[in-house]
Amino acid sequence: MRQSLVIGLLTTSFLGTLAGADPAKGSTAQEIVAQSDLVRNPVQSFETVTTLTEYVSGRQRSQEELAVYSKLDLATRQYRNLVQYLAPPRDAGKRVLLGGGALWFYDPASKASVRISPQQRLVGQAAIGDVLTVNFAVDYSAKLLGDETVEDAERRQRHCWHLELKAADDQATYARAEYWIEEGSHYPIKARFYSDSGRALKIAYYRHFVQRLGRLRPSEVVIIDAVDTSLATIASLHDSKFRDVPDIWFQRDYLPRLDAR
Amino acid sequence: MRGRGFCMALLLSAWCTSAVAYQDSDLDLIPATRPAAAGTVAQPGWGVSPGHKIYLENAATGVWDSHDLAAPLPPPRDYLWQERLLLDVRTTDLIGKRAEIHLSTRLNFRDEDDLRFPSHENVVNDLREAYVSWHPSDQTYVDVGRINVKSGIALGYNPTDFFKTRSVTEPLSLDPSALREDRLGTLMARVQHIWGAGSLTIAFAPGIRARSRIYTNTNLPSLNPMFDRTNADDRFLVKGSINLGDNASPEFLLYREAGQLHLGTNLSVGLGQSTVAYLEWSGARRPNLITEAFNYGRETGTLPVNSENPLSGGSRRTFRSELAIGASYTTKADLTVNFEYLLNQAGFSRRDWDAWFAAGTHAEPQAPLIDELWYFRAYARDQQQQNTGQAYFARADWVNAFSAQLELTGFALVDAYDQSGIAQVSANYYLSDSWTIGGLGVRYFGSRRSDFGSLGTSFSLLFSVVHYF
Repeated sequence: MRQSLVIGLLTTSFLGTLAGADPAKGSTAQEIVAQSDLVRNPVQSFETVTTLTEYVSGRQRSQEELAVYSKLDLATRQYRNLVQYLAPPRDAGKRVLLGGGALWFYDPASKASVRISPQQRLVGQAAIGDVLTVNFAVDYSAKLLGDETVEDAERRQRHCWHLELKAADDQATYARAEYWIEEGSHYPIKARFYSDSGRALKIAYYRHFVQRLGRLRPSEVVIIDAVDTSLATIASLHDSKFRDVPDIWFQRDYLPRLDAR
Repeated sequence: MRGRGFCMALLLSAWCTSAVAYQDSDLDLIPATRPAAAGTVAQPGWGVSPGHKIYLENAATGVWDSHDLAAPLPPPRDYLWQERLLLDVRTTDLIGKRAEIHLSTRLNFRDEDDLRFPSHENVVNDLREAYVSWHPSDQTYVDVGRINVKSGIALGYNPTDFFKTRSVTEPLSLDPSALREDRLGTLMARVQHIWGAGSLTIAFAPGIRARSRIYTNTNLPSLNPMFDRTNADDRFLVKGSINLGDNASPEFLLYREAGQLHLGTNLSVGLGQSTVAYLEWSGARRPNLITEAFNYGRETGTLPVNSENPLSGGSRRTFRSELAIGASYTTKADLTVNFEYLLNQAGFSRRDWDAWFAAGTHAEPQAPLIDELWYFRAYARDQQQQNTGQAYFARADWVNAFSAQLELTGFALVDAYDQSGIAQVSANYYLSDSWTIGGLGVRYFGSRRSDFGSLGTSFSLLFSVVHYF
């Protein structure tokens, strides 16, 4: 019931965005992105562990592991996120909070919460905005460019909708993106992110669809630096489970209290 | 521009609608190697989990004095070299389902050219925190023990960080961010309630020890928790934050100590993907820093009871503000820079600096006047108050600097009156998940009759090796 309500919210709010509508399928571009968001993430609150592995010219250079707690905010239709570093040892215990449109970084050593911008990096090519759970349909306005058959990360051919995403507001991590979503399944296959000057910044591939959080979802995202293409980061999502995440977890003052969990 | 975009759209459209499969060259950029299996990353040692952080650090420091001082330094001089081995432990352990015990301590083994060896001064333990936390509900928390309560959103100076006074213990770095780490907590009881729309914190710290003289690096006790530094007066804090919706959650503070009531606030706002602007302010009716230092020195017996304040003026209690206002910006190259303007209306004014140098320039090193003049500045440092009235602060943090293993950090604090300052650059190289090596250089600059140029230090270098367990 609640899921239906959220799906409804996610989709109906964009019915006015008819640019790029696909008459054959009866879906607007925004609805396609919203359906694909549901493939990437569930509407129920959940916890997942994200392993970020950075590569330089194909060689592994560094690795970090994060616990990510996510909960959909029904008012904004966007996720709130609480991230805790699990490894390496020098970073264990550090936390990042995205709640109410603000990002906070907490270091248990200084016991101070510092406000940060989404542009700040976690590790490798992954900005904080890349690791957080987000609904693209909320942060971006979508336009259907056409149909296209592309190769996925495992070089299998996928028949996709090719969409253009433009930042709906300054909450979006990137100014613009190209996004390929498989027709029918709504699986996210590939994305290419651009700066506001039109420069390609990153390329992302979604791969290894496994049963996770109640359905088949991608368990890895490959993030390639489009400026220096020798750099790549693989975000591996595992140990995912539904769990209740109380609203107070997304208060800045709760950050030091996460120890109790 | 628009024409080019149109052409691009046409090309793209033609390409897309043809629905032709193509060889995607981007795929060649995907690393062939598979990452380590899920859940096997950097298996931490016995000391590490989100609630446990234990590391051993060795740091060697060399200091170069400056000569031709405008006002002579009273003896004894500070150390010229120091060797420290420190074991840093921070743990949080659950006691049942609704309580935890928190411990944060640092055991220092040190030697300096101004210390006898061996002596008890070679071993100093900093008990930063030891407290029990109990949460009768998911929203309410009760903490009792020695707690480091920190407030403030700025980096260079924190006017609302009321419990910072006298708490910093022998820091390895002068970076204000590091000073927040190496400090003693305050013995207190604290209650915090957090709900969806905000939070409220009430803390009371009893005065259980008499006020004591300012410590130097040569008279630190080995195992004494030094509650005289943190619990010499009753201290009371009320802090509340409220969510005002998108992007705004201001924090308000009320603090009382020794009959003095302070008000404070922390505000911040995100400006797009790369910029955050912030403001931290506090204010209280109080005399100036010089008068506070003079009174404290007489009360603790450091200055003679019948002595006269050599720098008169500013003793009147009036409402004085402390302010830090600034912004951070992150570049696409992972460089984050902060710029801040810092104000302490109780700090030295331009006239105070002129009076300080006029009094100190012709005094003999052994003259009582010199002790008094330098005491004012030592007091400011001990209280973690900004000595000068106005200053500028800049800090840069560059992660992934040239390499993912290298992090460069630097800051500069400049006195707005005389443009003297302090600059520090540090580099940390992550040899592995468990080992880090680092270097740190500090440079004081300014004329001999300036805030930072008049200090006895010219520059210092530190090299460190850290092993995380």
